[in-house]
Amino acid sequence: MELLKMEHISKSFFGVKVLDDVSLTIQQGEIHALLGENGAGKSTLMNILSGVYTRDAGSVTFEGKELSNGSISASEQAGIAFVHQELNIFNDLEVYENLFLGKEITGFGGRLDKKAMIREAEELFRQMDVPLKPRLLAGDLVTGAKQVLEIAKALHSKAKLIILDEPTTALNNNEVEHFFRLIRDLRDKGTAFIFISHKMPEIFALADHYTVLRNSRFISSGVIAETTPEQITRDMVGETYANEDLYVQRELGDVVLKVDQLTGEKFSNVSFSCRKGEILGVTGLQGAGCSEVLQAIFGAIPVLSGNIEIHGQLAGDETIHKAMKKGVGMIPANRKENSVLPDMTLLENTYLSRHTIDTRNPSISKRAEQKRYDSYKQTLNIKANRSDDLIVSLSGGNQQKIILARWLDTDAQILLMDNPTQGIDVGAKEEIYRLILKLAESGKTIIVNTLEIPELKKIADRCIVFYHGGIAADLAHDEIEENAVMMYSTGAR
Amino acid sequence: MSDKLKKFWSLYNFIVVFLIIFIAYLIINGSAPSWTTITNILLHSSILGTIALGQALIVLTGDIDLSVGSSFVLAGGIAIVVFNSTNSIFLLLLCCLALGAAFGFINGLMVGKFKMPSFIVTLATMLIYRSLSQYMMNEMGETRYRVDASLSKYYSLFNFGNGSFLTISLLSIVWILLAVFMIYMTNSMKYGKRIYALGSNPKGAMLAGVNVVWTKISVFVLCGLTVGLSTFMKIAKDTSFDPATSGKNYELYSIAAVVIGGISMSGGRGKILGVVFGTMSFTLIDKIITALGMNALLNDTVKGVILLAAVGLQMIQKKSRD
Repeated sequence: MELLKMEHISKSFFGVKVLDDVSLTIQQGEIHALLGENGAGKSTLMNILSGVYTRDAGSVTFEGKELSNGSISASEQAGIAFVHQELNIFNDLEVYENLFLGKEITGFGGRLDKKAMIREAEELFRQMDVPLKPRLLAGDLVTGAKQVLEIAKALHSKAKLIILDEPTTALNNNEVEHFFRLIRDLRDKGTAFIFISHKMPEIFALADHYTVLRNSRFISSGVIAETTPEQITRDMVGETYANEDLYVQRELGDVVLKVDQLTGEKFSNVSFSCRKGEILGVTGLQGAGCSEVLQAIFGAIPVLSGNIEIHGQLAGDETIHKAMKKGVGMIPANRKENSVLPDMTLLENTYLSRHTIDTRNPSISKRAEQKRYDSYKQTLNIKANRSDDLIVSLSGGNQQKIILARWLDTDAQILLMDNPTQGIDVGAKEEIYRLILKLAESGKTIIVNTLEIPELKKIADRCIVFYHGGIAADLAHDEIEENAVMMYSTGAR
Repeated sequence: MSDKLKKFWSLYNFIVVFLIIFIAYLIINGSAPSWTTITNILLHSSILGTIALGQALIVLTGDIDLSVGSSFVLAGGIAIVVFNSTNSIFLLLLCCLALGAAFGFINGLMVGKFKMPSFIVTLATMLIYRSLSQYMMNEMGETRYRVDASLSKYYSLFNFGNGSFLTISLLSIVWILLAVFMIYMTNSMKYGKRIYALGSNPKGAMLAGVNVVWTKISVFVLCGLTVGLSTFMKIAKDTSFDPATSGKNYELYSIAAVVIGGISMSGGRGKILGVVFGTMSFTLIDKIITALGMNALLNDTVKGVILLAAVGLQMIQKKSRD
């Protein structure tokens, strides 16, 4: 039975069409993947559905009734819940308080009936078959549990259709598994889901139907079991998107980075080395210590014991400044939080880091900087108008390129990249891979930490797999294979 | 509105605010704009304006300094004692700057190195510095710190504080020169960009290589230096300091001047040039109140209302940008 029918939806912002005659149909009790590159119109469509935006044309029917246009409360009341990518959990409140926020059960004189709320929360968690405890502080939950709490909130408000916007971005593989089990279970009980994701394996593991948008238009729709990842990717990207092998074997130079028995708070006795021009992949489940090892090499977190040797120079107690002086650069994970300076221009975001280690001249020559910026803009193919635009005016992929330019500008020979393609759409990802390969070709040493194994297959000469703060395996390029990596990173092998 | 005009408005609305207040002043005063009006505004803005420039740097990093008024009065008292016993203008200036820098360093150390919230740290030092100044005065058995008029250098000092060059008072020239330097520093020096980076995203700035601790400490020291300089200016102008009332509310007035000048209290956004206009707008409000013959006790009411209006304006602008 049809639960939701969105027909011929159009929407413009300031004369620019962001949705052009788009239709979407969701059946009761199905998981429907909504696919498209960043900017294809997915979020706008979902915002119209949840009442954040008003539609210019078209109709939305939910359970056979026309949904009023642009009313958040009407959508909520009808039973549509939106679980955003940035979770909407209050860390300082307890789990049950989050659940009942705004709809508390009260007794005489407005006194909160905590017992009743806790009881109801326990009952809900039991029905969902999840191990959440109502009295825990929400801030103490791991991300996966917070995600579950979001779903619980939706169910608690009697949602019949739940929109999941890239729900797995912050989850480790184990949590993803649990999360998917919960979603399937709820589907079987009759709840419908719209699932927005960029990860093909997840879509094929979870979804029943799919709809693809591209350039604000409806492109295709169908049954997941009857299509292939290649077909869907083609629909998303437009031109024939070949999953070609970018990787080429290169001649490697001398060892430039040697890590010996490195121990920190989240990892212990980590030893590996890296050659000039090498692309070293690092992977492991979240919490396995990969990201922390990179941060330690960069001097961002303390080392308890062990050695780091950069270009033959022993680097004892590193600070970021000392690491940068030795030619190390780092693109941290979570671009928005850790690398973008939102109030500053493209130019300023590019030159800032070089200026912290190059202090010969305290003044800035705008013309010289512009010239440098222009050359990065060209080599990295950055799509931007003027160098004095704010960095936040760019798309995720182009922002990341600016951050890459920032580190190339410091002339770093060793680049540490922590999850560099996070939140970047398919086309731009491909471009970042090409750039990484090009940089390695020119002699840069690159260490990439990522949870996406196909990504490593495309670029890495070698891959070390972390498990529980230590190295579980050191695989050559040909040995990098999804199954094997997963076995090592879960400690199964 | 065309995009260009919009951009101009969002970058330079502090000039528009100033012009509106200026015109209001002219109308109330019933006079045509004269050169003297302008030099007067500059003169009366110079001491607070100098402090506001330092305050602006701190606000740009996302912090706040509530101790400027108290540092001002403590440094001033000690400096006058030093001058009276040495008869040296150079030592007077040195003493003002060194004390200002030292007070700023103490704040900066606690905020930068020990990660204490600047609001609390400077609230505490605000209480401490003023109380010390009053205690010292009390111990000396007087009510005001006064420069000894019988000293030979007294008149040179007084002449600096009240003299002018080409009809522009020397104090305002000092202020404007400092402002020009600060504008250059924030626009075209590597150090200045670090201040913006820190205010824009502290964690991002740290991971981009900015030494966050040192930058914070240095900004507080710079602010202390501007306080020291304004102390010197005040001594030269009035030759006395009242530990109870001098520099009173300067922390609030300087923050108000910074905010009216369009600098965001959350840091990372705004222009030093705005602070110059913000201070002048603030000075003009004083003049308007006098011209209207209003009760001086209503002075802060009007200033408060103008401050709210300025922040409201910024909010509207922020909304339209988002």
